[in-house]
Amino acid sequence: MKFLVLVAKNLRRNPLRTVLTALGTMMLVMVVTLVWSVLWFLDQATTQRSENFKAIVTERWSIPSRMPYSYAATLREGAARAPGDVRPLDWMTWQFYVGTVEPSPQKISLDNMVFVVAIDPDKALTMLEGMDLLTPEQHREMEQIVAKAKVNKQGIVMGRTQMARLNKRVGERINLYGLSNFKGLDFEFEILGQFPPGRYDGLSAMHVDYFNSQMDAYPSRHGGRKHPLADRSLNIVWLKVPDDQAFNHIAAQIESSPLYTSPPVKVETLSSGVGTFMEAFRDLLWGLRWVLTPACLVTLSLVIATAISISVRERQLEFAVLKVLGFRPGQIVLLVVGEALLLGVSVGVATAAGLFVLVNWYLEGIRFPIGFFDVFFVPPMGVAVGAAVGALTSLAGSLVPAWTARNVKVADVFAKVA
Amino acid sequence: MSSPPADGPLVRVRDVHKFYLRGSERIDVLNGLTLDVAEGEFLGLMGPSGSGKTTLLNLIAGLDTPSQGQIWVGDQLISAMSEAQLARWRTRHIGFIFQFYHLLPVLSAYENVELPLLLLGLSAAQRRQQVLNALELVGLSDRLRHRPGQLSGGQQQRVGIARAIVTDPTLIVADEPTGDLDARSAEEILDLLCEIRATLGKTILLVTHDPRAAVRADRLLHLDKGLLVEHAPASSPP
Amino acid sequence: MVSILRELYYGGAGTVVFLLILSVEAILLLLAAGRVPLQYSLRNLLVRWKTTLLTALAFTLVVAVMAVMLAFVEGMKRLTEGTGEPGNVIVLAEGNTDETFSNLPVGDLTDIEQQPGVLRDAQGRPLASRECYMVINQPFPDAPPGRPKRRFLQVRGIDDIERAAAVHNLHLAEGQWFSPAGVEERVLPGGTRRTVVQGVLGRGIAEELGRARGPQRRAQAVNPDRLEVGDLFELADRTWVVAGIMDSEATTFNSEIWAKRSVVGPLVGKEGYTTLVVRTAGPAAAIRFKNFLERDYDKAKVKAYVETEYYENLTQTTTQFLIAIAVVTFFIAIGGVFGVMNTMFAAVSQRRRDIGVLRLLGYGRRQILVAFLLESLVIALVGGLLGCALSTLADGWSATSVISGHAGGGKFVVFRLVVDAQILGVGLLLALAMGLIGGLVPAWSAMRLKPLEVLR
Repeated sequence: MKFLVLVAKNLRRNPLRTVLTALGTMMLVMVVTLVWSVLWFLDQATTQRSENFKAIVTERWSIPSRMPYSYAATLREGAARAPGDVRPLDWMTWQFYVGTVEPSPQKISLDNMVFVVAIDPDKALTMLEGMDLLTPEQHREMEQIVAKAKVNKQGIVMGRTQMARLNKRVGERINLYGLSNFKGLDFEFEILGQFPPGRYDGLSAMHVDYFNSQMDAYPSRHGGRKHPLADRSLNIVWLKVPDDQAFNHIAAQIESSPLYTSPPVKVETLSSGVGTFMEAFRDLLWGLRWVLTPACLVTLSLVIATAISISVRERQLEFAVLKVLGFRPGQIVLLVVGEALLLGVSVGVATAAGLFVLVNWYLEGIRFPIGFFDVFFVPPMGVAVGAAVGALTSLAGSLVPAWTARNVKVADVFAKVA
Repeated sequence: MSSPPADGPLVRVRDVHKFYLRGSERIDVLNGLTLDVAEGEFLGLMGPSGSGKTTLLNLIAGLDTPSQGQIWVGDQLISAMSEAQLARWRTRHIGFIFQFYHLLPVLSAYENVELPLLLLGLSAAQRRQQVLNALELVGLSDRLRHRPGQLSGGQQQRVGIARAIVTDPTLIVADEPTGDLDARSAEEILDLLCEIRATLGKTILLVTHDPRAAVRADRLLHLDKGLLVEHAPASSPP
Repeated sequence: MVSILRELYYGGAGTVVFLLILSVEAILLLLAAGRVPLQYSLRNLLVRWKTTLLTALAFTLVVAVMAVMLAFVEGMKRLTEGTGEPGNVIVLAEGNTDETFSNLPVGDLTDIEQQPGVLRDAQGRPLASRECYMVINQPFPDAPPGRPKRRFLQVRGIDDIERAAAVHNLHLAEGQWFSPAGVEERVLPGGTRRTVVQGVLGRGIAEELGRARGPQRRAQAVNPDRLEVGDLFELADRTWVVAGIMDSEATTFNSEIWAKRSVVGPLVGKEGYTTLVVRTAGPAAAIRFKNFLERDYDKAKVKAYVETEYYENLTQTTTQFLIAIAVVTFFIAIGGVFGVMNTMFAAVSQRRRDIGVLRLLGYGRRQILVAFLLESLVIALVGGLLGCALSTLADGWSATSVISGHAGGGKFVVFRLVVDAQILGVGLLLALAMGLIGGLVPAWSAMRLKPLEVLR
């Protein structure tokens, strides 16, 4: 313990140097922790879970996936048709829609566009990704919104970014006019609530029945013509499966079924689907993982090495005296390395913990649009990462100066002083 | 800042007080000191530690300003100059010799001596001539490129002396110039100072604890508690 | 920091050159104003060479990382800038900003092609290309471990390949365009005879597909790193043959597979067209034609872009990456600044007596400031130059990414990193800025030292 006290006191010897080193450490730990958080989240999203994971059914070949809504009835049963066939634990359908609040075509812009998915509100809490990570308060809020949505089929739940862009509040009404392939499909909504902060910031959700009823009503308003997407309005079917074996059964059932030929469909795990999308960013992610992160670690090691080297050079007499007093060379090394570690680990932990609070609670996530991920958070393990980065770089940066301190020659030092 | 030059002392110190404040405590170092130094004189200052001798030296050299009183060097009232004016004045008029030489370790002997000349707007050729002259005077013409780490204590002090005289200053001030030297080197340095005074007619102010240095002075002054007590030089008859 | 980097990046080489010249002039001014010999500053750096080197290396890494990140973005930017002809107008279905979601009726295409303003070829046919852009989710069972077993491949179904090539001003590097039928008979390994789809590939996607083959196939291939003319590959449950490789490296077409629309569309259930690209007389004519289609053309509702404008709109991702780079660079640069501050404070502390002597000799406060500031700038310059040199190793590296506009969609692109003089200039400016900021406070503290106190 006394050794630790000695180490801590040595850090107070030159407060300015300690503070500058701490600040430099803080900046670099921040970058590494943020980059690690993004990579960790993407790794999680592309790593298959072994149980209770989701599979997605989409059009086999092309994107955007467009299937007839009639597929939904059998797909949600996993196309089970024979005794012994496996059924999924749960299911959800997604039908996409893009509209604008601006009725005048000349004024349409990204700022007044709204991206909506039509789902069954009963499935929101059990099947939407991330709902199991909500805080109790957020979960309660979502339950209330879902209850309202079940009753008010003309309700819409909006992402925070979308609501802010449109400058709307809960309880207000909005009209959406269909854009692009959804031209002619218009909706009137009451805003029932907003999604919790995070992955749904840029998305909204409406009741599937309202979407389909407007699709069915289209011919009556358009001279009997069906909407161009009437037979291709289903985009994704989500299935929850208990394990790999069940997934494989269900996938085989669906892909061999004669019901899905025009267009054919494919079944993949959610993580596999995400991985396919993220493949395009592999070089960017490689760069983050193997260029930026190591560069930050080395830079931090250099900053610490510089500070410790200067400190050791100034304390030659002190180390000589310690040796005279009986300190062994290994203890001198520990003293120097200990100072660096104490500084590195404490600043690393404090920075990562501070980042956790700042990003997750105050900023409600870091915005880094990559693929269809918009927002990232710092996971609790990020604090350990901060500590590890601080420790690793302190060790790397202090080893050589510590060895120099260990090798101080008492006679030479006192001769110089004399 | 100047009055018509008088035929009188080179340095005139008139009723000079100097105090420092440490928190709310006032520490008086010089208490109404009056002193004249004639041109070409070799004046020694002695006294116990804390007597104010170094403070007096610093005031006369323009490194500090008195709390009260006047100091004239030549026709310049240096006690009324600003910091920037003093810096410019020092370059031309003062040559300072330190106890611990205070040479810049990364510069050679030549470059250390050249330092003050870089502030005077001389051409490279002029500077070179003056540096070589100064180093020759102190007997170090063969050590131009040596760095302080490659010179003995005595040689380093010679470089210090060369630096002090290279600008042909009005006054040379030396603060314990032999304090860090062995006996032989100290004698050599004192011989050198006397030679400079004799050949160049320089006025020298020397602060010392060393009796060997004190005995070289024309006049020896003793400071005690910020006031002067004059002694005759050791060489004069009792 | 974001707007500074954006200005340096988009402001063009002129801004960077101007700032570099300004920096050089400022340094020369400092050198002229400083009376403390330069060798004093330089030799002190050499005496403490280990600390100097450690500090400079930190600068090297910061500059190199930023330059490589900018090179990535520059590669994407050049790709989008290089794609599209200024005289072309690209027509999509109304309300679309991306080909992926567009759906154009054939009647509309025929009428638009006949409009005045559309140039004609030697045979009097409109210089227009009817296209169906598809993104196909293709399984890759031989994907190496850790890589996904499916990938998105961009296929452009073309009606008339020669007219398309003329409109897009694309040429073949190797092989030939696909035949009017779009298919050919081929004897496959194993001896079976089959009708294979002819595809013309961008060089980038040819490399991607070449490297995605299993180890056995790569070992047997003529070129293991790229599909060559005559090589076979699988796409959408059909066997394809590489009929030709496009000379398309500076464009987004580098990542595309072109084939006969009537053959490839039905493979994936796409019967119609997504895009019509027409050639007009020049940039001004293109703007006029685009405006005509959007404002005055009443036979169909379409969305028209001057082709270069369409691809410029896909730089949203580039801008987002630039913002991320600016933020990251800011933080790691601040880290480096604290590093150099430490070094310089230590230098000031170790040379207090030197400072006292110089002040005593008559050197002014500002000259002391300049001497120490110059030291910091020299460290920065050395580190910055090394960083720039290191970053040039990344020039020409191949990389993949997605470019997208505002409203979703996006194109997978293969491009090369570009480390150009502008990026090197920005790197050098960053180093000098870090050196200035990191050195100023210690130099200020050196300036404030009282000679008498330090010499006591």
